[in-house]
Formats: sequence, structure tokens, C-alpha cells
Amino acid sequence: MSSYHEEHNTSPHTQSNPQGRREIRSEFRNLYEQLTPTDPTLISLLASLLPPELQEEWGKKSNEGCSQAFIDSLPRVPKDKIPNDLCSICFENFREDEYPLVIELPHCSHKFDLQCISVWLSSNSTCPVCRDKVNHNAKLDIDTTEAELEEDWGMYG
Amino acid sequence: MHNNPQETERLISDPVPGITAEPHDDNLRYFKVSIEGPEQSPYEKGIFQLELYLPDDYPMEAPKVRFLTKIYHPNIDRLGRICLDILKTNWSPALQIRTVLLSVQALLASPNPNDPLANDVAEDWIKNEEGAKNTAREWTLLYAKKE
Repeated sequence: MSSYHEEHNTSPHTQSNPQGRREIRSEFRNLYEQLTPTDPTLISLLASLLPPELQEEWGKKSNEGCSQAFIDSLPRVPKDKIPNDLCSICFENFREDEYPLVIELPHCSHKFDLQCISVWLSSNSTCPVCRDKVNHNAKLDIDTTEAELEEDWGMYG
Repeated sequence: MHNNPQETERLISDPVPGITAEPHDDNLRYFKVSIEGPEQSPYEKGIFQLELYLPDDYPMEAPKVRFLTKIYHPNIDRLGRICLDILKTNWSPALQIRTVLLSVQALLASPNPNDPLANDVAEDWIKNEEGAKNTAREWTLLYAKKE
């Protein structure tokens, strides 16, 4: 009678060697822990070892959106500094909006209507224009008080 | 949000050479597209019909584009589906119908058999490029005729 492994055309070595598997796993874990989670070369290298279906899933996961807190904290462009330019998402002139809410991405300074960019960033984390990561893990320390102040002046002045 | 009528208007008033895109009468999200085969490519002198559909989430989601004309190309499969990064993972809402169609035209000018969608065609393209290009030329003459 043939053995299980002969019937299934597998080698008993790869199937039932918990010792070896544990070693491999711990080696992978060590490697993984040495990685900076944002190191794109290593991550793509690891991803290339995956079968294509999984790669796609992996790609989706690494492409997760930004937090609402991050989106809310994006610096507003003060009304008098809003450029005479089109939003790259809706192709409307920023200034044609009676109450424009324009933000600037902290990393690359590209400007968008808040309404447009917030939809994109809720499921993505790249700038639509330059594709740079918008760096949503970094703590923002940008002074928005000026913009708010000016708005207040407009309202009560 | 996205001013789709304006984009459509611009497509018609300021067309891209070799590319036409007309919205369907009953459904403004559905476009009938034609792309001329680029010069000095095996698709030269062919007119390729495509369909383009803007999903509800456009421009947050890429348009869906498909070849209706049969074409012999390593990145386009027999159902007309196109392997193009900007239509999948590299989509950006700053891209437009116009840029998408230009990219499709560029794909006709430079096929990439190393990132295939039609595996048999890609294999043929790598093993015997001249032969594959001849087949592509024959298919262009047969199927991509001017209407």
C-alpha cells in the first residue's frame, strides 16, 4: 500500500517537520521585525514572493486611506492666498466657489478642494497629482490659526 | 462633485488627434470611443473601437475601458480587457478620460510583453517578435477597418 505522501505526491519532509517550519517562521519574523514598515523596496520585494492574487490584495491593503483626523487636520489655504487655478480633481476654479475651502497637502503643497480631496484620501494615501505618500502617520504641527483668524475677521469685522 | 458635462464638452470641443469619444445619447456615463493605431506600429491605419464607462465613483475610481475591436496585443486579452496600471492600482482622480485614452494609444505604440494580460500573445511576442507583429498587422487589416 502506498503511503499518504506517495498518493498525494508530496514529500513528508515539507509536510511534517514542525521543527524546521518553526525555524523558518521565526527567521521570517526576525526579518520582518527588522524592517521599517515604510521601507518600500523591501515590502515590494516581499510582495513579489506572493502569488499574483495575493499581491493584488496586499496592494489594496497597503493603499489604505487616511484617518478622518488626518483629513480634518489638513492645513486650509487662507482665502486671500487661494490661487486662480483649477482643482485637479473637479477641474473647477477654486475662486469660482463662493465659499472656497481649499487645503494644501503638507508634504508636496498641492492644493485641492477639501470636499474633493477628502473623498480620495478616505480610501487612498497618495497625492492625486504627484502620487507621493501624503504621510498620514506623521503628526501635523502646522499653524492654521492664521487662516481661521482671517476667516473670523471676515465674519465679525 | 466632478464636472462630468464639462469634461465631456472639452473632449468634443478640443479633441485629441487620432482619438474620438462620444457620450451615448441615453447614458452620459457611457462613451463610444475610437482610437487610430499609432504610426509605425503594427496597428497603423487601423481604427479600433472601444467602450468607456464612468463608474458612479468616478473620478475616485478609474473609468472602465474595453476594446470592442479584436486586436493582437500582449496587454489586451481576447475579451478586450486592457492591462494598464493607471486603470487599476495607479489610478488618480487627477487623470481624465483624455489622459486615459492617450495612455491606451501609447500602449498600442509600445506593447509590453513582460507584463502580459494575454499570455499566449505575450509568449509569441517574446519568442518571435517579427512574427507576432505580422500577426498584429494581419488582424489590424482584418478587423480594425474604417467604417
